Amino acid sequence: MQKIKLPALAAGLIASALALSWALLVLIVSVRPAQADGLAQETEKYCLSCHGNPDLKMTLPSGEQVSLYISAEDLQHSVHSPAGIECEACHTEIKTYPHPPITYTTRREMARTYYLACQKCHSSNYAKTQDSMHAQAAAAGNLDAPVCTDCHGAHNVRPPDEPRALISTTCGKCHTQINQDYVQSVHGGDLLTQDNPDVPVCTDCHGVHNIQDPRTAQFRVETPDLCARCHADAERMSKYGLSADVYGLYNLSWHGVDVAVYKAKWPTIWHESAVCTDCHGIHNIRRTSDPASKVNPANLLSTCQECHPGVGANWTAAWIGHNRIDPQRTPFLYYTEVFYRSLTPIVLWASILYVALQILHAAVERVRRSLP
Amino acid sequence: MSAADQPVNQNSAPVRIERVFQRFTLGQRWEHLILIVSFTILFLTGIPQKYRSTEWSQWLLSTPQRVYWVRQIHHTAALLLTAGVLYHLGNALVLLARRRLSSDMFPTFQDVRDAWQMLRYLLFLTREKPAFGKYNFEQKFTYWFLFFGLGIMVVSGFILWFPEVVTRFLPGGIVPAAFLAHSNEAVIAAIFIVIWHFFHVHFQRLNLSMFTGKLSEEEMRLYHANEFERLTGEKADLDETKGGSQ
Repeated sequence: MQKIKLPALAAGLIASALALSWALLVLIVSVRPAQADGLAQETEKYCLSCHGNPDLKMTLPSGEQVSLYISAEDLQHSVHSPAGIECEACHTEIKTYPHPPITYTTRREMARTYYLACQKCHSSNYAKTQDSMHAQAAAAGNLDAPVCTDCHGAHNVRPPDEPRALISTTCGKCHTQINQDYVQSVHGGDLLTQDNPDVPVCTDCHGVHNIQDPRTAQFRVETPDLCARCHADAERMSKYGLSADVYGLYNLSWHGVDVAVYKAKWPTIWHESAVCTDCHGIHNIRRTSDPASKVNPANLLSTCQECHPGVGANWTAAWIGHNRIDPQRTPFLYYTEVFYRSLTPIVLWASILYVALQILHAAVERVRRSLP
Repeated sequence: MSAADQPVNQNSAPVRIERVFQRFTLGQRWEHLILIVSFTILFLTGIPQKYRSTEWSQWLLSTPQRVYWVRQIHHTAALLLTAGVLYHLGNALVLLARRRLSSDMFPTFQDVRDAWQMLRYLLFLTREKPAFGKYNFEQKFTYWFLFFGLGIMVVSGFILWFPEVVTRFLPGGIVPAAFLAHSNEAVIAAIFIVIWHFFHVHFQRLNLSMFTGKLSEEEMRLYHANEFERLTGEKADLDETKGGSQ
């Protein structure tokens, strides 16, 4: 056995080589220029040396087969990889190969395990999702209720609203029927054909991460305010030849007053007075001129009959619509208003003046009689 | 105490027999009472509904149950008022058929002349007050104003109560018109009652004939001179009457 004595020079060389390689490692990890091979990180290269194989699979205890292939292209175009966020950031338990034994039995359990990593960076949005309708559904036992990755993707996370129509498509993955209604509606149609930024997508009405149950009494009485965010905006409505008075005039109507009181006083008590969506539809809102619209004159009576069963054909005229009082459209109302606008001051002022004259006369008479 | 200590009877002056005159029948006084009760309930339960958006209304109608009950009370009082109105009209029709409907309450051209003279009197343009019959023009105006006002309230009220039934026969446009009319007429009628009627029967002089059914001879001479002369054949004006009719 020969004992090697390291000369001081060699020791120095090794030390500086170690220091240099450490510095290089730090540089590689911290600086994130797109590399020639497209991958931002050494770790990705390392992981993809196995997971780049399209045939890589595993069988879960549930019997489900899961592909373990990760597309390098997905990673490159995601928002995370070019930002230097490496595999281990989310797959926190996996440091090297061989991997530790898996703790989940089903594919869904796997997704619900890994999505928890999102809160490390996105804590505020993560917290919002915990108050959402989806979290409630999961707590009630529906594990198919979406988690972050169901909407945003996992390895291929990209901006969720580019293009904006992507949002309705994403929600439509589960809410299929609603999305079908929506794409045929005046809002969805304009979104898909023109990418119109004025029309609402799902999240504009339902919120983003803290999506609430829209079937509650509270959501119902707040519906007019929701619609009014756009429909009371004169500038936006004028682009489409729509009246921005609809909300204000609704608030003066029988329905609107009732709903406003419930909203102010008893938002959690269910109330039937009509809100926007009862007449116009919810996801399937169409132009009033569209023959398929619930408020098209041809369909209006049957829409009223949903709440007022058995009313006759004259009934629809009892709703003055979102219109101002007008001699042509609402003659009864118009002339009643003219009558009272003229009668009220005449009668009241005549009574007041007459009574005032009587009081004055009596006072003068009394003074006159008391004089010598 | 001896009898001598008793105070002298203050009423020792010669007693003048005051005649009293029947003005309203028992039925008319009941009608008026029913009108007061139903009108007051309708007003008190209607106003919070008219002004539902206000704080005080929402304080009163603090629960949906209260809204429900205030409407039940309003509808019950409405039925009472409607019964009164129908009785009044039915009674008038029966009297008309028997040729016994009094014409005292119908407006005549004399009322216009009386009103004109009263206006001149109030403006010190004449010292002569007009002489009135059984009902003066102020009382006739009260009656007819409420006659049509209550007619509007009853008709529009039932349209609002049963809009779905009413629009089977009548155009739908009358429903919002009825809503506006009911809402406006209620306030006008209430203000009119307070300004006009309360002034005339409570403040100008306390006239309780609608409750007692009677007017004294003095009141008849002073305020209904023509009627007094028609009934008694005597002249209405006495020396002590001041500001009365000629």
